[in-house]
Amino acid sequence: MGLTFSKIEGNSRNFKILLILFAGFTAIGFICFMVSYISGHYVLGSSNIIPWGMPITITIYLIGLSAGSLILSSLTYVFRKEEYRPIARLAVFLAIILIFGAMIGIALDLGRPEKSWRLFMFFVLNNMRSMFAVNGILYGGYFLIGIVYLGAIFAEKYKFVKTMGIIAICWAALVHMGTGAIFGFIATRPIFYSPIKPFEFLAAAMVSGLALLMIIVVLTFKFVKRNFDRDVIFSLSKLLLILIIGLAVMVLIDKLTHLYPPDREPTIWLFTGPFSWIFWGLQVGCAYVLPIILLSHPRFRKDMKWVMVAAVLVVVGIFGERFSLVIPGTAYPLPFYPGKIEGIWGMAGSFPITPVESFMSLGIFTLMGLLFLVGLKNLELLPVGEMGQQTPEITQKT
Amino acid sequence: MRREERGNLLPIPSLPYLPNAERQMPRWGMVIDLDKCVGCQACSTACKNENNVPHGSPDEQRLRRDIYWNKMIAATSGKYPRVNTELIPMPCMHCDHAPCVTVCPAKATYRREDGIIVQDFRRCIGCKYCIVACPYGARSFNSKEQEEEEYYRPDLPPDRDVWGQWPFPTRTHGVVEKCTFCFHRIDQAIKEGKKIGTEVVPACVEDCPAEARKFGDLDDTRSEVSRLLSSRGWIRLREELDTKCKVYYLPK
Repeated sequence: MGLTFSKIEGNSRNFKILLILFAGFTAIGFICFMVSYISGHYVLGSSNIIPWGMPITITIYLIGLSAGSLILSSLTYVFRKEEYRPIARLAVFLAIILIFGAMIGIALDLGRPEKSWRLFMFFVLNNMRSMFAVNGILYGGYFLIGIVYLGAIFAEKYKFVKTMGIIAICWAALVHMGTGAIFGFIATRPIFYSPIKPFEFLAAAMVSGLALLMIIVVLTFKFVKRNFDRDVIFSLSKLLLILIIGLAVMVLIDKLTHLYPPDREPTIWLFTGPFSWIFWGLQVGCAYVLPIILLSHPRFRKDMKWVMVAAVLVVVGIFGERFSLVIPGTAYPLPFYPGKIEGIWGMAGSFPITPVESFMSLGIFTLMGLLFLVGLKNLELLPVGEMGQQTPEITQKT
Repeated sequence: MRREERGNLLPIPSLPYLPNAERQMPRWGMVIDLDKCVGCQACSTACKNENNVPHGSPDEQRLRRDIYWNKMIAATSGKYPRVNTELIPMPCMHCDHAPCVTVCPAKATYRREDGIIVQDFRRCIGCKYCIVACPYGARSFNSKEQEEEEYYRPDLPPDRDVWGQWPFPTRTHGVVEKCTFCFHRIDQAIKEGKKIGTEVVPACVEDCPAEARKFGDLDDTRSEVSRLLSSRGWIRLREELDTKCKVYYLPK
């Protein structure tokens, strides 16, 4: 397959506008981060009852998306599916950017981000019983493996690439399960506490990653103006349907377990309280019900437009799933003592949306967009189209 | 001593006043008599004064951003006219199986040899995982730079050149804080050879007007806390989580 990859020229007006736009929002995000760093986290939405806010939500979301990209690249380099080769390089690159964005998200959430090096002093200064410290190994290793993998692809050493691809998939699975374990091993928070949480995270990661991947495949081919086999997308959509059903079953079991005593109040509160619209609307509606209907309907599943709608719904809905785990998961008051606890200690927490946190979160995404554009310009990621066309406008906003 | 805790410990001198020479370390604990507690919040105020815990504004309290090392909860059961409200003061429970120690990635919170769970602000990276894991809500995140002069405490023992943690002259935002059982008082008393539990106690115990709180060595059979625990029925909060906490309550 005589596929050549090249850099994009990046001289068009749109490319430059996009670059400036992303850089501007990244700068605003950085300023917001400095504000929260210098003046304290009271400018964010998190508090003592909801300690983890938007940055952690975005982090686990991005870690999930990162998986899908790596899985796609493995389809080419490990399972020899040549039809994905044009976007395989892009997929690995995207996975690296996404995990980088996730690590930035963790750093933004830390109270003292200048001490984040302490997370990587494995076995020396770290308490290795903490899932957070274990995940430091997993995230760092994932980042390094991704870079070596991409380097091997650029060097076109395909035997080595295959080995790295296998390692990368296994490591990606570990990363997602480890992230789930951060939440799943906390006995204090009934919404978090579940042995199925690592597997739920893995399934959610594969679902959101695969949906993002389908969007990127379609967009990329549209911009590169190459014809491609539409059956590829439809076969991926079948896989997506199966994964969504698997994820929905796992979430159902998880939530059902929590509806049984003991500790049923937090889950009932999640279903009926102020965050219920996120759970029912985004998580159940957008991520499970609507895509399952669209992808199993005899007419819609044959229509590229509706398959794309389903993929977008999944990508949005999985964000809702992350949100409805992280924020309501800690918001319900702890049962310190039998009886109704009066006053603020018995009230569920609220999560105000603050401008600083919103721009900071936006900054994570624009930083990744910026890195993506810079990568397109400087690395040979995109295939040269049949008519020799380049693709300056390509803008997957991850 | 567990491996990961080695090197983190304060050098606590031996305790000459203890009768049993084999026993190296006390296990500090607190007993709170709910029968005597009137809910006057003297313990909360004493704690704020002793440890310079910043006072929050009503707005901060509403958003749950103020720092409490010792809080008072009111739990109501029943309906009027058959109603009962119990007031429960809650310091950090200093669990023997502390979930916060398990989850802290940076070893910033750890169990001292004498059973006190302390938080090292210098190591804390502010990831808030311990706040998520604590079953008693005993931990608070310092989310605002506080005024400097509020923390100038020349009267506290100048220990910071020895080990550097306490008293923290410039407390910083972005770290998690919690009750320390006033370990600066305990360490100072051990140096001076005073008897802990009678002569020297944590600030909340000292200031309790109803003498509802008692502090002492749970392993010492002659201490006041051991006497109370053996003479009356006691409860610990959230026993189902198996935290083996060292704050005991004597119910009404």
